[in-house]
Amino acid sequence: MDIIWSNLPFLLKGAYYTLLITIVSMFFGSIIAVVVAIARLKGNRSIRWLARAYVSIIRGTPTLVQIIIVYYGLADYGLNLQPLTAAYIALSISIGAYLSETLRGAIQAIPKGQYEAAYASGMTPIQTMKRIILPQAIRIAIPPAGNTFIGMLKETSLVSVITVTELLRSAQLLIAQYYVYMPFYLAIAVMYWILSTGFSFILERIERRLSIYE
Amino acid sequence: MNKYGDPMIKTENLSKSFSGLEVLKNINLTVETGEVVAILGPSGSGKSTLLRMFNGLEELSGGRIQVGGISVDANQSQRERNKQIGKIRLHTGMVFQQFNLYPHKTVLQNVVEALLIVKKIPREKAITLGEKLLKRVGLLEKKDQYPNRLSGGQQQRVAIARALAMEPDLMLFDEPTSALDPELVDEVLAVIKELAHTGMTMVIVTHEMEFAREVADRIIFMADGVVVEEGTSEEFFSRPKTERARKFLKMEEVIN
Ligand SMILES: Nc1ncnc2c1ncn2[C@@H]1O[C@H](COP(=O)(O)OP(=O)(O)OP(=O)(O)O)[C@@H](O)[C@H]1O
Ligand SMILES: [Mg+2]
Repeated sequence: MDIIWSNLPFLLKGAYYTLLITIVSMFFGSIIAVVVAIARLKGNRSIRWLARAYVSIIRGTPTLVQIIIVYYGLADYGLNLQPLTAAYIALSISIGAYLSETLRGAIQAIPKGQYEAAYASGMTPIQTMKRIILPQAIRIAIPPAGNTFIGMLKETSLVSVITVTELLRSAQLLIAQYYVYMPFYLAIAVMYWILSTGFSFILERIERRLSIYE
Repeated sequence: MNKYGDPMIKTENLSKSFSGLEVLKNINLTVETGEVVAILGPSGSGKSTLLRMFNGLEELSGGRIQVGGISVDANQSQRERNKQIGKIRLHTGMVFQQFNLYPHKTVLQNVVEALLIVKKIPREKAITLGEKLLKRVGLLEKKDQYPNRLSGGQQQRVAIARALAMEPDLMLFDEPTSALDPELVDEVLAVIKELAHTGMTMVIVTHEMEFAREVADRIIFMADGVVVEEGTSEEFFSRPKTERARKFLKMEEVIN
């Protein structure tokens, strides 16, 4: 137990990176999701096709492979990204694909009458999407998106392979130093668990807050 | 929006098909400024489709339509048509069978939304106007509630206030009371009647015969996508000219 306490600051720093990567990727992933969901529903033929291809490719390949391609693969073409930057990019692109599907379903669940009421009052399609449809769709998408976010928190462990010192890699580094496994792995398991529980808690609060009109 | 004396709505050989099926055929009609017109007819006769063409919620397939001096016709380019429809909508309010209130916005926000987003008037002015309209439909005390907390009748009155917020010259109603429990119908009809007395031009699709008779200056009776009969409310209900209309009135009488 002592080796955990004495190395706690190091592990907490790893936890900080895990959290940071999760939040940054969530943020950019959500932006990608909105754009891609709308592109798939309202874009012209080639835009729809492009958006579909993106979703299909990302969902059809392992996240680990995507991370490696962004970091090591792009380096072949002279694009040398910082590990952390590569992690942000790969995970945002990945989560964006999953979230866009969730959001697309949510947008499709909004009744036609909502568009008609907005159009009849003179709103343009863009105003309607922004003010009437998306706010409702996002509320519908939040519970499933929450699950994606929690899954995401755990998937950040994958970026340890590109030398980002998040939680998993901090444990691995300590193990290399002390030659004991269990205490460190248990410690980070507990920390992952605390983080995801905290996340669920916050998401539930947000959900409840947004459902006041139901 | 139009010179005094011009009709508010004028259609010429208006037609509409849904994937090859013609649901409106050669509709020629006018609605005068200040007139209250009820569109009656059996289910599936094309009443809603016609009403929705007045504000461009349905595209036209043929002919021409003019609303408040702004015309849309089948020969214009899509872009041109959209532009004209956009102009028409600024002067036209619509009330739907299912209310279609925005569930994520409060009653007051529902009413002022288009004022802020479309007309871009200052928030305070919009709120003053919104509250005035809510008072008019008797729902000012509900202004901070979300629509789902309201009864159907209250929701529909909010929807009417929302449509009035843009200060339209023309109001369109598509079966405004058909989704309501019977005991809630009257409060909505009362608001519409009150509106009729202010001289608002209105087109109302309804199955409420008594209401139509009372509030409408003129009846347009449709069946199978054509206007079968037109006349003053008095003429239509006491001396229907066509067999089809007589049959329809008899049916409605049996139902009610
Ligand atoms: N979006 C659509 N796609 C295909 N057909 C449609 C569509 N909207 C309406 N129709 C058809 O057009 C015809 C006229 O429909 P409309 O809704 O205008 O009738 P209505 O007179 O309003 O009937 P109701 O009294 O039942 O509301 C019907 O045969 C209907 O099935
Ligand atoms: Mg109808």
